[in-house]
Amino acid sequence: MRYFWLSIKAVFVKDIVVELRARQVIPTMVVLGMLIVWILRTASEAASISAIVIGPAALWIAFLFSGLLAQERAFAVEQQNDCIYGLLLAPVDVGTIFLAKLLVNVVMLCIFEIIIVPVVMISFGLDIHGRWAGLAGVLLLGNLGICGVGTLFSAMVQLARSFGSLLSIIVLVILMPMMIPATLAMLMLFGAIPDELSGVGGLMFAGNFKSAIGYMIAFDAVFVTACWLLFGLVVKE
Amino acid sequence: MLLLSAFVLLLGSTWTALMIGQITPVARNILYAHIPGSICALLCFIVLLVASIGYLRTARPQWDMVAAASAEVGMIFATVLNLTGMIFSRAEWGVWWTPSPRLITSGLLWFLYVVYLILRSSIRGPRYLQARVCAVFGIIAFLDVPMVLISARFVPDVHRPNFSFESDSQRLALFMGIGAMMILAAVFIWLKTDILKNQHKLEKEPAC
Repeated sequence: MRYFWLSIKAVFVKDIVVELRARQVIPTMVVLGMLIVWILRTASEAASISAIVIGPAALWIAFLFSGLLAQERAFAVEQQNDCIYGLLLAPVDVGTIFLAKLLVNVVMLCIFEIIIVPVVMISFGLDIHGRWAGLAGVLLLGNLGICGVGTLFSAMVQLARSFGSLLSIIVLVILMPMMIPATLAMLMLFGAIPDELSGVGGLMFAGNFKSAIGYMIAFDAVFVTACWLLFGLVVKE
Repeated sequence: MLLLSAFVLLLGSTWTALMIGQITPVARNILYAHIPGSICALLCFIVLLVASIGYLRTARPQWDMVAAASAEVGMIFATVLNLTGMIFSRAEWGVWWTPSPRLITSGLLWFLYVVYLILRSSIRGPRYLQARVCAVFGIIAFLDVPMVLISARFVPDVHRPNFSFESDSQRLALFMGIGAMMILAAVFIWLKTDILKNQHKLEKEPAC
């Protein structure tokens, strides 16, 4: 068990140090996220759509696309000088490498979220009504889902030397069932829609805030486990 | 032979449906194509899952060919499902599409097939790598499928899950339609697998 944590720490520290020295991923993510938010804010003003409805959706759009950017880098960085083979030849379980990379991606996206959430709240004039814990929970669950699927498929796309835009369609189509309750939960948090939805409004198991959260937990558990188990098959040479 | 029996069954189903088992209003008769289409679209995904697992376990290219064939066939049935569904929805509720759970998940099914086929055609590199990547995507994508089923049964929706077919002739027409489409799907998968096998053989032994 100690060996497991040590190997996770080794890969994690390596990637964080690379990022700290190169300062490549986080600035790109933040600029992309801010551009998305800015464009949507302008559009909502021009079309006079209530900012409270667009704001929470803008958050998820920014997370998804910036998250994809980070995940693409996660394995692209290993392509230089074929570092990936060195990593895979290390005497550790490949699942551990997946978990370490997942952790790096989650931390990167968390840092991004800490920066972008206030930006969105200020520019859209959103009020959280003191539900910070709920917000943190929804963000973390969404984060884990995006990164779990993204990490597996970024490794796949890199190894197959395919083009990067492929990653975005793969990840988006897989994540779609989670993004609906995630967006609804976010809308509930900011008070754009009531906490209890009725009838057809109870879209995709997200009839109320609790069921939306429960659904996201289930999604994360299933997909992160599946990705972790299948990672070994993807990188096997 | 199988193809012939599928066509006979399809014709029989259509005849029974329109002559004795007609549902009023007329537009609702599209259900005789819609329900078998949806069942086959889901069955093809199960075949895709089994073939993907089979490939990852044994690494035999035959499994990969079955997976490729079932994805293409499944895509056809998912298209049938969504198109007939849209026509039905237009006739019944006056809109082509509405974001209800059932319609979202059927659309998702179609998109999963499309992305699978794009993935298959856009991966360069050795064949085994392409097959393995597609198999992994097939398995992960299948995890989204139970939601299509669950949403049909347990979520309140405009889409009625158990449409009642009152008379025996209506039920007969429906079951004939389901049977015909299932045979059709099986024949298509078999034919496509055969084509892929021959292609594989040709690539191995190029003609002089």
